Amino acid sequence: MAQRVVEDGLRAEYFELPPDIRRVVEELEAEVRHCLLPMTRGLARYEQLVVKSRVKECESAIYALRRDLHEGRTFDQDRSEAYTLKNLTDLAGVRVLLFPRNHVARANQELRRRFPLWTPDPIREYHEGPMLAEAYYGYCDASEIIRGEIQIVPM
Amino acid sequence: MRRFGTKDQILEEAGYSYNFERALYINRRLKKAFSIEFVEDNTDEEITARMNRKSDGRWEFYFNSEPSESVKGALERILG
Repeated sequence: MAQRVVEDGLRAEYFELPPDIRRVVEELEAEVRHCLLPMTRGLARYEQLVVKSRVKECESAIYALRRDLHEGRTFDQDRSEAYTLKNLTDLAGVRVLLFPRNHVARANQELRRRFPLWTPDPIREYHEGPMLAEAYYGYCDASEIIRGEIQIVPM
Repeated sequence: MRRFGTKDQILEEAGYSYNFERALYINRRLKKAFSIEFVEDNTDEEITARMNRKSDGRWEFYFNSEPSESVKGALERILG
């Protein structure tokens, strides 16, 4: 039976993080809704601006960490201390969905103004491919160890 | 999506398939695996030369940075 020291260590770490993750998600969702409130009020009846938040599940977080590794995408079981879920940038995420898509640019502009120091990390169809959505991540006041991610996606 | 043109073709014609989970080109019969980074950073000739190398029946991993024994062992178990 193969040892899974790294994965089990990460699972243990994950179950210590929910209070911070929840705080980040709640703060971020409130900030985003507040920031986009003037835009929301101005929408026509057929237009949509939906804000959704989510917490990354444990196994999904471990998978994401492994996927970000270099060659072979495989944990080195002899170096379990080298891995931490705190390196993930999207444990706590808020997604803004917009219809029609021409509202994406304005929402992005408003949010970039609110989070000017966050790191852009656009979602692409494939490496260096066309951009599917704007996204950025960074720390907010709710936690010093968990970063939040905002995505702005056309419906 | 992988976009390496001829390298991709060379590997697939030689019986390698791409494993998305590990980002490796794998030939289970020959027990050889190329990382996508290695494929990206090396020429068609360099890749072909390694494909043609005689192997001793054990898994060979062509990476830019030599994987640790622990990683090799894990990959061998996963790849079968």
